Amino acid sequence: MEMIASILSSVLATGPFLAMIGSSILGVFIGALPGLNPVMAIALLLPLTYSMDPLVALAMVAGIYNGSMYGGAIPAILLRIPGTPAAIATTFDGYPMAQKGEAARALKIACWSSAIGGTASAIALITVGPLLARATLAFGPAEYFWIAVFGMASVGVLVGTDAVKGLMAAVFGLLLGTVGLDQLSGVPRYTFDQTWLLSGLDLIVILVGLYALPPVLSLAEKADLSGLSASDLKLDNVRVLWSEVKSLIPTWIRSSLIGISVGILPGAGGNVAAFLSYNATKNASDDPKSFGEGNPRGVAAAECGNNADNAASMIPALALGIPGNVVAALVLGALLIHGLQPGPQLFHQNPQLVGGFMVEMLLTSLIILIVGGAAATRVFAQVQRLPGVLLVPTVLVLMAVGVYVINGRVIDLWIMFAAGACGYFLEKMEVPLAPIVSALSWADGRAEHPPRPADQPGGLQ
Amino acid sequence: MKKFLIGIALLPLVSAPALAEYPERAIEVTVPAPAGGGTDTSARKLAILLEKELGVSMAILNVAGGGGSVGVTQFMQAKPDGYSLLATWNSPITTVPQVQKTAYGLDSFTPIASTSETAYTMCVKPDFPAENGAQFLDELAANPDKYTYGNDGIGGTMQLAAERIFQQRDIKAVAIPFGGAGETLQNFLGGHIDIYGGSISPVLPYVESGEAKCLIVTSAAPVEALPQAAGLESLGLGAQETLLWRMFLAPAGLDQAIADRLVAALEKTVNDPEYVKFLATKGELPNVVAGEALTARLQSEFDGLAEAAKKLGLSQ
Repeated sequence: MEMIASILSSVLATGPFLAMIGSSILGVFIGALPGLNPVMAIALLLPLTYSMDPLVALAMVAGIYNGSMYGGAIPAILLRIPGTPAAIATTFDGYPMAQKGEAARALKIACWSSAIGGTASAIALITVGPLLARATLAFGPAEYFWIAVFGMASVGVLVGTDAVKGLMAAVFGLLLGTVGLDQLSGVPRYTFDQTWLLSGLDLIVILVGLYALPPVLSLAEKADLSGLSASDLKLDNVRVLWSEVKSLIPTWIRSSLIGISVGILPGAGGNVAAFLSYNATKNASDDPKSFGEGNPRGVAAAECGNNADNAASMIPALALGIPGNVVAALVLGALLIHGLQPGPQLFHQNPQLVGGFMVEMLLTSLIILIVGGAAATRVFAQVQRLPGVLLVPTVLVLMAVGVYVINGRVIDLWIMFAAGACGYFLEKMEVPLAPIVSALSWADGRAEHPPRPADQPGGLQ
Repeated sequence: MKKFLIGIALLPLVSAPALAEYPERAIEVTVPAPAGGGTDTSARKLAILLEKELGVSMAILNVAGGGGSVGVTQFMQAKPDGYSLLATWNSPITTVPQVQKTAYGLDSFTPIASTSETAYTMCVKPDFPAENGAQFLDELAANPDKYTYGNDGIGGTMQLAAERIFQQRDIKAVAIPFGGAGETLQNFLGGHIDIYGGSISPVLPYVESGEAKCLIVTSAAPVEALPQAAGLESLGLGAQETLLWRMFLAPAGLDQAIADRLVAALEKTVNDPEYVKFLATKGELPNVVAGEALTARLQSEFDGLAEAAKKLGLSQ
């Protein structure tokens, strides 16, 4: 009890508290701008904080991470441009809702769902973290292979009306994922002696091009000079009814559990969590046809799922010292700089700091409600009033900046434009893009590898 | 006051030629590894101390991928003016060129100084039938292809370090490549592989908790933090030493005066008690080797690894 009080008082001290609020707002912006993504923002900002109070630095990580997952939904709903990879599934129903004039309602549901998913995940981190971490150890190469097979199978839900086109898209995604150095054999695949291709095609670069560029181009095609009028926005009279909240509860519970399960497994990320949550919700529905047409449950599932991934992805890092993703690796790096030794004893070494970070993950999830509900949703929905002629160049520049910052390479910009051109023509031919990205993210992680000889000694060498 | 102003006005005249003013602007340090990893944290912690010592800011640029070769290749475009440095671990310089085509070689750099070093270790579960390094190698030799060991990737330094030892004793163990020490550790703890092969710091907490027993280190001398592990010298394999070490390099053709200034700054900051303490939590020791000695060290390691890679059939 004394411990809890002391953790709370140190987290709620002026420095960390202001850092949480500030970074949550910053996170929403980072998420909302296509190209900028939380992993990159944390990688750039966290090292600058090495000389600061570590609780302030970790508050910043928590705020950016949680805030950006909600932020990604804003352009996804308003413009069909996912702000982060994890917001792709949000476009499926969020954008149709916006088309029906329900943008503000969709944003509100996204905000609530994000907060609920993030809170559930943080509670899992605080209460059963070490237990879940031990469970992840049971997952060896063979188990990961079957998870990947499951993931690939779930692409089936995304293929749309024409199954052949959908499957072709999925195979195309898998092919893109084979580029790079093969970990098992050490053989470079499709690299054409280009060093920058050794680490494979960057998922985010492909994704920004493939997913964000086509909507921008179709916006440009409309050549719209006026934007929505203020009276068409319908921001004030949005009330989400209790009956609707009640109908979303099963979705929230299901998506939180899926997000947490995906989060604790190293390799997968928020986009996988969102896809799986969306699929599960669609499959469980009495009326699966309404998904993709503007079903609020689709938005709730995707947004709840991707936020539930966040805190849970910290579990293996904080409980075992094994980082499951880049953000977790950055957090462990920061703890090391502050003199802590990551491992099972981490919490006991400095409960104030490690416990404090867990509480910060929880509080920043709740801050989303205030930041998103009160301010961001209202402000960002105004974007729809901007005429396309202003919106198109602005979004293009932001995308280019974001993509360039990832690796500091001009070639990534060309990759993005190539992927964009590709996406644009595929959309014209009514080939769904979601299977490409979903297959690529399964191929991109460790899931790409067939069962290693670990389980068959002497088998494959 | 007047005197002071005159003094300032005269300062450029009395001070030595342009080079003595180095450094006069920010230094960019390329780290060919992702932010948050071992090489990155070592470089960043050192950069904080170097900023005080040199009086200019140090900007760290992470360029990860290809086992470090992506970042090093990108660094090849830098000018040898002392404002672009490479903070790397040894693998991209001495191991990667053995197994990949690279756009650089040992002569592409002006070696400045090494900063710290640590060994790789091999660890087993407590019920493994061996209690020391000699028994461990005997058990492996007696059971060819029975045991699996995790490493940092095919043709990675950890695999070559292990194979250099195994080749001397005719040991055949199954190499299982993973993406890094964290992933190897996870699979070791979960019982999916028999032997953990990787750097010391990730596995150290599990040695303390009794879940891992480390029996061999790849340095000639034993490591204080792992009392049960044998150094290679005691097994008669001292010549097969392979270390994980970190260094600062500049592009080839760096002015000697600038290199000397950097060596002096590194010698001071690496041995700063704060840095030594930081290294200790990671199981690393400070070790500054500069100039010709560093060139010789790189060359001999390059040749030793080339031989091991050739025997494994991995050479490019």
